[in-house]
Amino acid sequence: MGQTLISGLANGGVYALLAVGLVLVFKGSRVLNFAQGEMGTFGLFVAFWLITEQGLPWIVGALGAIVTASVIGLLFERIVVRNMGSAPRLTVAVATIGLLLLLFALELKIFGPSPRILEPPIAGLGLQIGGFYVSPTQILALLTAIGLGLALAAFLKRTDFGLGVLAASMDPSATRLVGIRVGRVSAFTWALAGGVSALAALLIAPTIGIFAAGFMTGLFVRGMAGALLGGLTSLPGAFVGGVAVGVIEAFVGDRFVQSTFPGIQSVAVMIVIVVVLLVRPFGLFGKASAA
Amino acid sequence: MSVQELGGWPYEGYGINLRVTKRKVFAAVALAAAASAPPLLFRGTTLLPGHLALSIAGGVCIALMAMSLNILLGYAGQISLGHGAFLGVGAFASGLLTINLYMPFFVGLLGAALVGAIFALVLGVPALRLRGLYLAITTIAFAFMMEESWFRWEPLTGGSAGLELPRPRVGAFVFFQHADYLALVLVLLVGYWLFDQNITRTKIGRAFNAIRWDERVAQGFGVPVASYKILAFVLSGALAAVAGATYGHLIGFINSESFAYKAQPNFSLLLVIIIAIGGLGSRAGVVIAAIVYALIPRFLEFLQGWELIVGAVALIDVMARHPGGIAGAVRERGTKRGERKARSEVDPVDDDDDLPKLPRLPRPMGLPARPELDAGAPLLEVEGVSVTFGGVKAVDDAAVTVRRGQIVGLIGPNGAGKTTLFNAISGFVTPDAGSARFMGTELIGRSPHIRARLGIGRTFQQIGLTKDLSVQENFLLAQHIAADYPVAKGLFLTPGAEGVERTMRGRATAAIEALGFERFTTTPVRNLSHGQQRLVELGCVLVTAPELLLLDEPSAGMAPAAVESLGERLREIRDELDRTVLLIEHHIPLVLDVCDYIYVLNFGKILAHGTTDEIARKPEVIGAYFGEEVA
Amino acid sequence: MSDHLLELHGIRTGFGANTVLHDCSYHVAEGEVAGVLGLNGAGKSVSLKVVAGLLPAWSGRVMFRGEDITKTSVEERVARGMGHVPQGRQVFADLTVEENLRLGAYTLRRRQRDRYRQTLDNIFDRFPLLAERKDQLAGTMSGGQQAMLAVGRGLMSEPKLLVIDEPSAGLSPVAVKELFETLHMVHGLGVSILLVEQNVTFSLKLADRVHIMQRGQIVYEGAVAELDADKIATHLGVGRLLHRSLTTATRTKAAAAGS
Repeated sequence: MGQTLISGLANGGVYALLAVGLVLVFKGSRVLNFAQGEMGTFGLFVAFWLITEQGLPWIVGALGAIVTASVIGLLFERIVVRNMGSAPRLTVAVATIGLLLLLFALELKIFGPSPRILEPPIAGLGLQIGGFYVSPTQILALLTAIGLGLALAAFLKRTDFGLGVLAASMDPSATRLVGIRVGRVSAFTWALAGGVSALAALLIAPTIGIFAAGFMTGLFVRGMAGALLGGLTSLPGAFVGGVAVGVIEAFVGDRFVQSTFPGIQSVAVMIVIVVVLLVRPFGLFGKASAA
Repeated sequence: MSVQELGGWPYEGYGINLRVTKRKVFAAVALAAAASAPPLLFRGTTLLPGHLALSIAGGVCIALMAMSLNILLGYAGQISLGHGAFLGVGAFASGLLTINLYMPFFVGLLGAALVGAIFALVLGVPALRLRGLYLAITTIAFAFMMEESWFRWEPLTGGSAGLELPRPRVGAFVFFQHADYLALVLVLLVGYWLFDQNITRTKIGRAFNAIRWDERVAQGFGVPVASYKILAFVLSGALAAVAGATYGHLIGFINSESFAYKAQPNFSLLLVIIIAIGGLGSRAGVVIAAIVYALIPRFLEFLQGWELIVGAVALIDVMARHPGGIAGAVRERGTKRGERKARSEVDPVDDDDDLPKLPRLPRPMGLPARPELDAGAPLLEVEGVSVTFGGVKAVDDAAVTVRRGQIVGLIGPNGAGKTTLFNAISGFVTPDAGSARFMGTELIGRSPHIRARLGIGRTFQQIGLTKDLSVQENFLLAQHIAADYPVAKGLFLTPGAEGVERTMRGRATAAIEALGFERFTTTPVRNLSHGQQRLVELGCVLVTAPELLLLDEPSAGMAPAAVESLGERLREIRDELDRTVLLIEHHIPLVLDVCDYIYVLNFGKILAHGTTDEIARKPEVIGAYFGEEVA
Repeated sequence: MSDHLLELHGIRTGFGANTVLHDCSYHVAEGEVAGVLGLNGAGKSVSLKVVAGLLPAWSGRVMFRGEDITKTSVEERVARGMGHVPQGRQVFADLTVEENLRLGAYTLRRRQRDRYRQTLDNIFDRFPLLAERKDQLAGTMSGGQQAMLAVGRGLMSEPKLLVIDEPSAGLSPVAVKELFETLHMVHGLGVSILLVEQNVTFSLKLADRVHIMQRGQIVYEGAVAELDADKIATHLGVGRLLHRSLTTATRTKAAAAGS
């Protein structure tokens, strides 16, 4: 049971990262970013190229992935989102679908359709903690998720710009009226969302093993479920929601491992979502001011 | 048409009804025949080779799918990003029926429709409470769940081995040839098109649009929002399921991955893209976009592997530059001209200072009988109403009595709780305590839309109209409670339903003429000035002759002279139309001029009440309004 | 003429096909409180949006401190010395009082970081209520307290001009009284104020000069001390009821100006 909890938490940490990325973009631009997962996959391909084909150390590849994904987010915000300020949010969401398709197509074109393997940074069997086996990547995933969460919280609350990001998500016009360039805030938000997505991809790839174009789609949906559960306006909520989804999946999968009905985990997550939303239509920590 | 005739129901007798029905059926069949003729004529020729017919048929199937989503997303405004679930449900249902139970094709389609409707109901009920992105993500989660569980369940769907869906057969003839199936699918398209037309031409489409624009406005006109939302889901789900089945039988093979999020194409997202490109809510735009999508790969073959990239970039570009899609771009050209005109004008455009007379219309038939009350008898009795928002008492033990034939004013500074009290009476806010009885019927705790039926009409500060519908359509929407035909009859636009619609149109025309707004009949309300919108709103509220009017700051945004005119109209409503008015107002002189009785509200409490003369003499009224210290 | 702190010249603007301001012109002199009055929908708040830069002007000019800022961005105007107290206060509800004030000082911190602490202490001195509640979430405060916070936030950037949009809306008379005293004190500090208000008496008590807007144009303008109560009453369409209080207000102002 502890083993299940550990893997649930580790996976949940990755979902939490994706959820946080989604909520960041939602708070900043009021839009659902369909490409949230694929930005990370693209970064993963770049890492693969740097590590496996150029022989560079893992950390360089990881940095390359994060930077690439951040730049993708930044460019998309600058070129597309900035000019769609008054467009209906559904249209902007469709534009992000366009980004998803574009990234997918570029991956196929540049790297081809065959799946790749990215070696984990730390090979080996991992640790034994009190009778449970924890792989190095799982440890890394957990630590990174927690670390990033704390760093983000500190940044948002303690720096001027960070406060500006929070303020802009509450009230963009009042934020402009204190002299903060909301455009810069928006660009930063999208870049951060890209970076976080790449980080999530890097952490989950070794656990799943192989990756190919469209790899993050399933995980992205779980990230969405986590964000939904936590409340789309709450960053800590997204974190908690993501982890919760991971844990629920792990336990349900473990309990019903003999079942002939496939995808019981998804059904379970769906039921939890519906129940939570029936009681709190804006998620556990969300507020009505949002959607 | 004289005013007397408008109140009645055009009785035409059974004979004429049958003839009308026969005519409609004949027209529909003729249309279907015309649509299916070209493929049948050209089948097997070089103009319509098999693979081309297959592509076009695929495009038409996608058009059917898109039209189904358009009803939910474009008309009713409910964001569904997981429509692939319904497509799959329909395809598998039809597959099971035709393969395992050897049912004929059309039974397969009917079964698909039924199963689609059931799943839509399952999704629609929880969806009632969700808004915007919460709803959107829930639909994605729903689609994903379907894909990972039900669609992969081998006994049902054959898992990855899938099902081979047979082509329909009539006796010995099987629709093997793609051209033949294309003809069949075109007939279906005609059916969907007519169905969709019926929706937009009746109270169903108007209710959907009102819900999309502003649920409160819809409630105010008596639309039972929850029921119509479920209806939108069920209709959309059923039509999507049939479309999915049709597609399945075309392709011939479906498996667990056919309608998955990772599939190529991802139908859920594809449909959203098509609707966005065609233009949300535009029937024609959506169909065109679907067929173009199906045929475009043929023209882009030279791109050799770059199509997806070019397509994605094109999609992003189109969305950025034309958020309204094809239909929106067409509309934009019309409005741009209007905007340029406004900017180049030298003199301010004058709102008519003198407000035209408000329409005088009798009570429509088909509404519940109302007890006759004497003048002066209490019409609305509010007692002990308290509303708390997050620890703050917005309304504190308020008591208001509105007597028949009076104009009662509710005044107080901003934030005093006037609108909250109105909202409590209207049912948009549930008070912690208190009661509000209208002609003896308790209002508190009941769904907002019943007020219209009981005879209460209400205006809103931000103008309670569906602003992207035309003036005429708003007048029709406003008569929702008089649209006395069941939804089913509306869907098929039976002669009975058409008759009611005609009566409603006549009433709407009379109202528009009374206002002098004939030239604005088809103009979207948002293109009118604020004052004109306010007038249309008042007209709409009056069109079903309610007993009590709740008016929320009707003079807001009006020039002084127009306000005086408004006062005359309000007196007219009381004296000539014999109605009762409860109004929130900031314009003290108007209130003193027009009201018979006044309630003064501040901090959520009724500070004072009395006849106009009594109140005008009280210093705390002046103090509360003007913010001076209370003497 | 161009020695006024703020000037609007012939502004014409609106939304889509609706023209809201037709040839709107008014000004704020250095050190004065200028009040813009008018009925709902006259265009007062729209003119403030043009001053702030949130709404572009189709034609006309906005001058601030002698420079043409018609095309300058919102944020740049703030950096040049314009502070804002927006309509509805618009405090950052999920942030604390101190965080709100810190955000108000965003441009100050970028210019002179070391002055921030001093400015903050100044504000806490003048608004002891904010000092008491500095760790309280802004959204949990009452309307009057939020109004005070919004004013404090607007002052944190040490502006030359404070642009205030309908501050008394939704406030209880007690809170309005406190707000009046707050703004009176701010005026005493030498900050010029551009005030848009529905509450006529409030404006007249605070303002030195009054500009009355009707349907997108200024139809009357003059010093409060020299007011023609009849004219104002007509323009505001308020009639006899207000006449008495108007006359009192102007007489008081005239007496204060004279003495």
